[in-house]
Amino acid sequence: MQENDETGHTFSFDYTFTPTEAFGFYFKQEENGKEIMMLTPEINTLLKRWNLPDGQGNIFNMSGAGVAYFRANTQPSLWTAFLADYESRRWFFSYEPRFVYDGNIEKSVWQRARIGIAPYLADYNDLNTWIMFQVDHHPAKHDHFVATPLIRFFYKTYLFEIGYSSNQHVMVNWQIQF
Amino acid sequence: MKKYLITMGIMFGFTAAASADTIKATVNGMVCGFCATGIEKTFKAQPEVQTVNVDLKGKLVTVTTKTDQNLDDSKIKQLLKNSGYSVVNIARTK
Repeated sequence: MQENDETGHTFSFDYTFTPTEAFGFYFKQEENGKEIMMLTPEINTLLKRWNLPDGQGNIFNMSGAGVAYFRANTQPSLWTAFLADYESRRWFFSYEPRFVYDGNIEKSVWQRARIGIAPYLADYNDLNTWIMFQVDHHPAKHDHFVATPLIRFFYKTYLFEIGYSSNQHVMVNWQIQF
Repeated sequence: MKKYLITMGIMFGFTAAASADTIKATVNGMVCGFCATGIEKTFKAQPEVQTVNVDLKGKLVTVTTKTDQNLDDSKIKQLLKNSGYSVVNIARTK
């Protein structure tokens, strides 16, 4: 998975080794202020899932521990995030608070919320399209609140998102499941 | 008469030997293509399975077994649980 948005560039690669756990690597180069680089192994855990007749709700935890680097200063990096989402074939909602500790480089808390609607109900072999709206809150950044309208497409195991944020950054995200 | 019975016996035996199950599982939580792909991949990896079809609208996973192969309900439930979904009902036809 790769995310390029107003916060920077993120790349992660994960292997799902049990039905509820995945292990992988997380790399992030931040922008919008300090150009911090973070490299950590990560573990993603499905904490709770609700399978409903017309939807699914989930709570995930994602956590990593590794190193952060900024202007020749290397520090321990620890981060954890919780992601709660609900998705039906028509609606999508998510909320994610994230806590980051990069030693004396940065300590931050940020949160992200998304709402999405599918303009048509696609089946398995169809191209799925979502119109989404994302709001980020970064108390430690120059732009505390950033809004990003975006379009999500996915087809089978390929996901692609493109958007444009209120602080004038292009968002391009992609994800492939193997 | 004896010849007729033998012929019928062979035909019946052939029919029984050539039978395969079509299993329709109604599944909760299946809302996206990612879900469907995971389920399809899981079932295709089973040696008993001939075909898999996922219908998001109907909330159905349809599995056809290979000739003379069987996939019991407990295994189907476990495979779908491991894929992250809940089984509501399983119906079978020969």
